[in-house]
Amino acid sequence: MSRVDYEKYGMTKEELFAPVEHNDLESEKITAPRYSYWNSVFRVFFRKKINFVILGLLAVILLFTYVYPALVDYDRFGNLLDSTTKHLGPLQAMKQLGYNIHWILGSGSSGQSTFDAVWYGARISVSLAFVCAAINLTIGTIVGALWGFSRKMDAIMIPIYNIIGNVPMILLVSVLVMLLSANFWTLVLSLTITEWLFVAYFIRTQVIIIRDREYNLASKCLGSSSVRIAMKNILPFMTSIIVTMTATEIPSYISYEVFLAYIGMGLSEMSLGRLIYAAESAMVTPGWEFEFWSPVAVVAIITVVLYVVGQNLGDATDPRTHM
Amino acid sequence: MGKYLIKRIITGLLSVVVVVACVMIMVYSLLNRDLVFAADTTYTHQSNNQKTVYKYSKWEEYGYLDYVTYSDYLSMLVDEGEIDEDTRSSAVSFGRTADADSELVSEYVQKFTEYYESRGYTVTRLDAVMMNAKKVATGGQQQLYAYKDVPLITRLIKYFSGMITVDNIHNVEEDIGERGLTFTLYDPVYGGDKLSPAIMGNGTTHKYLLYMTSSFPFIHQNLVSINLGTSYTVNSGVDVFTTMTRSQGSYVSSTITYPTGLTEESADDLHSATYLAGSLGTSQVYATRYTDDYTSVQTVKKGASKIGYSFMIGILAVALSYLLGVPLGILMALKKDTIVDQIGTVYVIFIIAVPSLAYIFLFKAIGGKIGLPTTFDVEKLKWTMFVLPVISLALPSIASLMKWLRRYMIDQMNADYVKFARAGGLTETEIFSRHIFKNAVIPIVQGIPGSVLGALVGAIITERVYVVPGAGGLLTDAINKYDNGVIVGVTLFYALLSVVSIILGDVLMSVVDPRISFTSKDR
Repeated sequence: MSRVDYEKYGMTKEELFAPVEHNDLESEKITAPRYSYWNSVFRVFFRKKINFVILGLLAVILLFTYVYPALVDYDRFGNLLDSTTKHLGPLQAMKQLGYNIHWILGSGSSGQSTFDAVWYGARISVSLAFVCAAINLTIGTIVGALWGFSRKMDAIMIPIYNIIGNVPMILLVSVLVMLLSANFWTLVLSLTITEWLFVAYFIRTQVIIIRDREYNLASKCLGSSSVRIAMKNILPFMTSIIVTMTATEIPSYISYEVFLAYIGMGLSEMSLGRLIYAAESAMVTPGWEFEFWSPVAVVAIITVVLYVVGQNLGDATDPRTHM
Repeated sequence: MGKYLIKRIITGLLSVVVVVACVMIMVYSLLNRDLVFAADTTYTHQSNNQKTVYKYSKWEEYGYLDYVTYSDYLSMLVDEGEIDEDTRSSAVSFGRTADADSELVSEYVQKFTEYYESRGYTVTRLDAVMMNAKKVATGGQQQLYAYKDVPLITRLIKYFSGMITVDNIHNVEEDIGERGLTFTLYDPVYGGDKLSPAIMGNGTTHKYLLYMTSSFPFIHQNLVSINLGTSYTVNSGVDVFTTMTRSQGSYVSSTITYPTGLTEESADDLHSATYLAGSLGTSQVYATRYTDDYTSVQTVKKGASKIGYSFMIGILAVALSYLLGVPLGILMALKKDTIVDQIGTVYVIFIIAVPSLAYIFLFKAIGGKIGLPTTFDVEKLKWTMFVLPVISLALPSIASLMKWLRRYMIDQMNADYVKFARAGGLTETEIFSRHIFKNAVIPIVQGIPGSVLGALVGAIITERVYVVPGAGGLLTDAINKYDNGVIVGVTLFYALLSVVSIILGDVLMSVVDPRISFTSKDR
């Protein structure tokens, strides 16, 4: 390249064009900023400072739900024979039974620690929600994706959906509970046996919406295979939908467990729902309110935190927010 | 449109039938039948063969199976004229064991066995349980019976064919004199002076087929009745539909004139009189009041029906939620990303994430603190009793309306036609009210029939927490009491409502938005 005297034309170096050697290979490359999907997800997620707080809360909740019950030796009927320990408020309980973490929420109807009972219950309820959500979302997403892609399957699944959607859920749960027994896995079965169909229906609608977009048609014309379209074009959109859905599903299973327990069809174990059910009379008895409101408040905190984390993660997984 | 609707209605009804079939399989085949006797004290007090027979007769009542005893069979033969009464009475007492039967008895036992076994029944003969050589143990009498599970198809056909019955003058089997309908301008219930047309029947199940009262809807009928299934434990012997629609509470007395001319203060509702064979002669009270066997009457009660209370609360909650939810959703969309939007979002998250039980109790506690009644008392009904249940029921629907309307409005705000309208010089108010709102509200409109009809179903938790005598707890109640008739009936009712509301929602949507059409021609 020959040297040009810029000064002669009264121009700076930047204002002048410089010739570039032609390169066939280089000219085929499309230049774009480096983009990594999951890096962007976390970048967007942590851009909001509130998410650190919420994640911290979630960590504390999970610690109390899974680690605390494993460390503490909780005996529901440990104080059964001591009538002075029953239905105590936090202050009385601590005065009587010692100043430690067990008694900060008072004691229950058989003198047990409300705090321990709540976290033991939370372990059952949260596990139930996680297991149900995992099963329903896995089956629901796979079936829903196929359902959205195949018109033949649509014709079969829609009548099935209409019928199963009309069988009362409570009836199904109670029939299964009576057939088997009121344990954890029965409730998992009854919350998953038809519920995946609703997830699948939702996913199907989303797949249909995205499937027929123009960019997928363009991608097909450019020669992308169906697998590539499914993995690269549709899946990124579905990720945010699935995550958002998980955010609503997990709290909804906890709520449903509470609801079933309240109408007397839930677990036989002392889950959060059973605790609320058992302590219902304590709500109206002056001085006993802690027994009732503690599980209610803990359920509310757990579900809100799970929901907010899921929603914010759902927002972050949406590629449209990655700009 | 018409053709499409008919097709939708037919497929909807078909799916209702399948739902009922599924539920029938669940309650009649899957559930353990012995659970029926869990709380039955009559059952626990019986022993030996008596207990077994009681079990089968109860199962027949609950609709599980067809059960015929040997003596029933003989009575049937008498009715058919095959044998006479003397043969029956000598054939009916069979021996303690098969060997002890007389010749005549063993002949008929043989016939009984053949007759029912050829029809797929299981014939069982229980020999007498003896305490000693001579004395039969308590409940240990010999028994002979046949039973067969009712097949699903038979059960379904029987159920749906018996669902709607029309009263006619041949309904009464006994001799009742001249059968026929009479029309009168002066209803005798009102003393015969007041102008009030009525059609009465003789030979029909109901005495009054069409009559007028002063209460809504003024003209009432007993001609066509809906049977959704008879209850056994929840409301013994009464149909599910009647259980849901019959008024509750304390009696309301008024001065009424009985057919004999006797005038008395009573809560009897003479318009509901039904035929009860031979009842007139059984009681002195009836003889002074009635002139025929139409003596079985309902009573006038003060309160509304189960569905009535559920609907009152439900419809108020629906109205409240649309009145609040729609403007709040619009406000959130208009003030997007401001403090108003954020407060609204916090509320929506709270309602969606927190179990409904928790916030219903929270509102009950708050309402109780500010002096609102927290329990529903049918006897001393005040409007303040409705406040808390209505608010509790409206809270989640307000939240979901806010959430979706905000979403739809914001989606529409980014649409190209809005930019075009703005470029065309329309004011923001015009764009919002005439373009964005109109488009955003279409999916909301679709849900209106569902929420209105849903009010009939009642709310389980709200009604339980506030002690409302509504229809919400009927299904759980029936499940807890193993009342299969009610379970099936209530399921049918729910399924019908949901099918109807989806169809109505689509129709309403196509009315609001002329672009939506369900006929392929218009597309």
